[in-house]
Amino acid sequence: MRSLRLAGRLAGRNLRRRPGQALLLLLALTIATGVLGVATSLYGSADAPWDRVWRATNGFHVSLTAYHPPDEPGDRAYVADLRRRAERLRAEPGVAAAGGPWTHLYGSIRVAGGQEDLTAEVRGPGPSPVDQPLVTAGRWLGDGGGVVLEGGLASVLGAGPGDTVTIQGRPFPVRGVAMTVSRGRFPLSRPAQVWVTPELARQLRGLGMTEEGFELQLRLADPDAADAFVGAHGALDAADPSSSVVAYMETWRQRRADSHADLDILAGTLFAAGTLIAILTVATAAVLIAGRMAAQVRQVGTLKAVGVTPRQVVLVLLVEHLAVAAAATALGLGVGRLLAPRIAATSVTVFGSPEPPPLTLARVALVAAVAVAVVLLGTVRPALRGIRQSTLRSLASGARPPRRPGRLARLAAGAGLPLPGVLGLRSAWRRPGRLLTNAAGLTLGVAMIVVALALRDSLEVLNLTPPEPGHAASDAAVAVLYDQIRAVIFATAGLLLALGAVNAFIVATFAARDAARNHAVLRAVGATPRQTATALVVSQLAACAVAVAVGIPLGAGLWSLMEGGDLPQVGVPAASLVLLAAAVPVLFAAIVSVPALLLARRPVAPLLAYE
Amino acid sequence: MSNAIEARGLQRRYPTDGPPVRAVDGVDLVVEEGESVSVMGPSGCGKSTLLHLLGGLERPDAGELYLGGRRVDGLSEAAWAVLRRRAVGFVFQAFHLVDELTSVENVELPALLVGAPRRDARRRAMDLLERLGVAERAGHLPDRLSGGERQRVAVARALVNQPLVVLADEPTGNLDSHATGDILRLFADLHEARQALLIVTHDARVASTADRLLTMRDGAIVAQTRLGQGTPAAGVLARLADLGGEG
Repeated sequence: MRSLRLAGRLAGRNLRRRPGQALLLLLALTIATGVLGVATSLYGSADAPWDRVWRATNGFHVSLTAYHPPDEPGDRAYVADLRRRAERLRAEPGVAAAGGPWTHLYGSIRVAGGQEDLTAEVRGPGPSPVDQPLVTAGRWLGDGGGVVLEGGLASVLGAGPGDTVTIQGRPFPVRGVAMTVSRGRFPLSRPAQVWVTPELARQLRGLGMTEEGFELQLRLADPDAADAFVGAHGALDAADPSSSVVAYMETWRQRRADSHADLDILAGTLFAAGTLIAILTVATAAVLIAGRMAAQVRQVGTLKAVGVTPRQVVLVLLVEHLAVAAAATALGLGVGRLLAPRIAATSVTVFGSPEPPPLTLARVALVAAVAVAVVLLGTVRPALRGIRQSTLRSLASGARPPRRPGRLARLAAGAGLPLPGVLGLRSAWRRPGRLLTNAAGLTLGVAMIVVALALRDSLEVLNLTPPEPGHAASDAAVAVLYDQIRAVIFATAGLLLALGAVNAFIVATFAARDAARNHAVLRAVGATPRQTATALVVSQLAACAVAVAVGIPLGAGLWSLMEGGDLPQVGVPAASLVLLAAAVPVLFAAIVSVPALLLARRPVAPLLAYE
Repeated sequence: MSNAIEARGLQRRYPTDGPPVRAVDGVDLVVEEGESVSVMGPSGCGKSTLLHLLGGLERPDAGELYLGGRRVDGLSEAAWAVLRRRAVGFVFQAFHLVDELTSVENVELPALLVGAPRRDARRRAMDLLERLGVAERAGHLPDRLSGGERQRVAVARALVNQPLVVLADEPTGNLDSHATGDILRLFADLHEARQALLIVTHDARVASTADRLLTMRDGAIVAQTRLGQGTPAAGVLARLADLGGEG
């Protein structure tokens, strides 16, 4: 306990002494925890609105849906058989109420830009004990005709009661607009849906709409028995390989989980982005902590000399950085709560306004675990080094001298590289750990940019592709979702590059500190400040070279893993890759030249006097 | 004989919480070509600061400074760096070799900076290392050299461009008496090339090897004593034997 108090006191003092570095680490960690915070707050933010509609409509516990492609009418007999068997489910033990089976007719409805596939669900005018759609405008089915539009479809059409819609080429009055959880919201959930009376259904059949199947909805006495009920009647949805009919049973929980695909995809992308950023933050933390440790090594020596044990030294380091991790967790979760509703509000699948789920211990623990893991991974190596290093060496610490002359620099000198370049290459491998950490961070950033570029090109191809027949509005909605994913990936690439830039700046700053005496000597023997600054920039460029050499193929590899599905396959144009390979080193050089120029402006005499 | 160094009313102050410290306070100084001058005084009297001012590592707050007859106190940092390549050689107590470069690379560095062809610079560096008895250590990094060897390499680096003036700040402070004798004998050779030498030292025996001794106190030169008889070089050469050297 006493050790912990001492560690806390020393850690607090260290944080106050170097607030800039602590803030930098906090910033890097908060970027990772913030993205994860948004993702955790996004997951499930459509559940509460879904539950509200489900309750208001007396939603199902188990649903059975059967449909067959309209161009294969020969299977009608099989559908009819399924329907008879489904009817018997209404009387099964545990069933408290039933709705349907309701016939589904297949056809099309006119939307902006073309036609959209349509399901017309045939309902009687009276209320159903299960899944009675919640009317949000106008009236439910009844005398006087007209169709009731599903809420998402009404929103896409911009239609309401009193308007007309064109089904099978014929105008029909809109009687009302309603919501149901038995389907996801159009346009991300296809086909579009309307409710019609049996009379109107007859009219639609006359216009060419065909029967495609039915849906039965059941409420159980025990909602938690839904899975067991589905398991017990699994034979109903067992696919008949000789038939094109598809039948499936679902519980209300399964339907809820599938109802907000756009949010799930966005949250999943954000989780992946947060994980990548967290990996890169390990690099930032490792560089920062190692740099702080190097700066504090004399203090560590002093602490050890006055009797502080190595364990206590590590404890100080851990307490210091765990405090930063705790702050980053709180900030990240706060950012998540703030941003997630705004992102979720762009969803087209949520019934009404999204609500971030409650901040459960599991969600907090997930974000905190990432922050703590980053700090622990970043602390282990410098802490172990601090323990292993003898007290005497710690007290007499300076930058470690190299062990052998650099061969690369010798080759470069032989090849006629200007002197600052040769001098820079001499220092390039002096801190291989920092170089590799730096390179790893930049590599991830470069790889993500390649993925983002490929995705951009792929989506451009997708946008140029005309929508499939009957998908005019839904394909546009999918394109919007892809645009959102593209924005997330570009933002992730930007954040990764920003973190890479922060890493590069930190590493260059520490390199400048290590090189201060050598550069003062160089200036004492006649090197100009510009030459020494150039040497420092060149010494840092190795990380950038590794990042470009590895990052571009890595990005191409990642893209090839992502390809497939709905995305057109494209290769990133060579010109874009060449531009990237040229731009990254230029930007990198601009960033690392800041500490290099700052060092070059420092007066020589004090640097030489410090020994 | 022309002046290698000429300083008039040179001043350097350091700000403190109270009144500024006058590290160098109105120093007038002339060092002729081929002359060796030692500077002594208590710690903090401004000896090293004076040396840094003369070599352009620090800027004077007031006064005029001439190197080889050219006024240099107003030069920019970059212009001073270029001037130092040819005109000034520094030797430090802590050697200050670039620890990433081998001995020979350290020595050839000033030659490369003035634009000497790589092969020529290497030949000159090796010649000097040979003369200083450390040629076999040419490929070693400074970390692998003894203190005496490092200082010889540092002296070689200071001499490689045959500068107008060599400024040595406690060059023997970290050396035993044998190595000290070796280094001073090397300095004695500077006279042959008419190079001026200014040595800051705490060691009276080292100071006595010069032609002239300056005593500093509180940033000012308070005494000047001519030590040698006859030619300036004689002062150095005559006293080397007392330091255990073989010359």
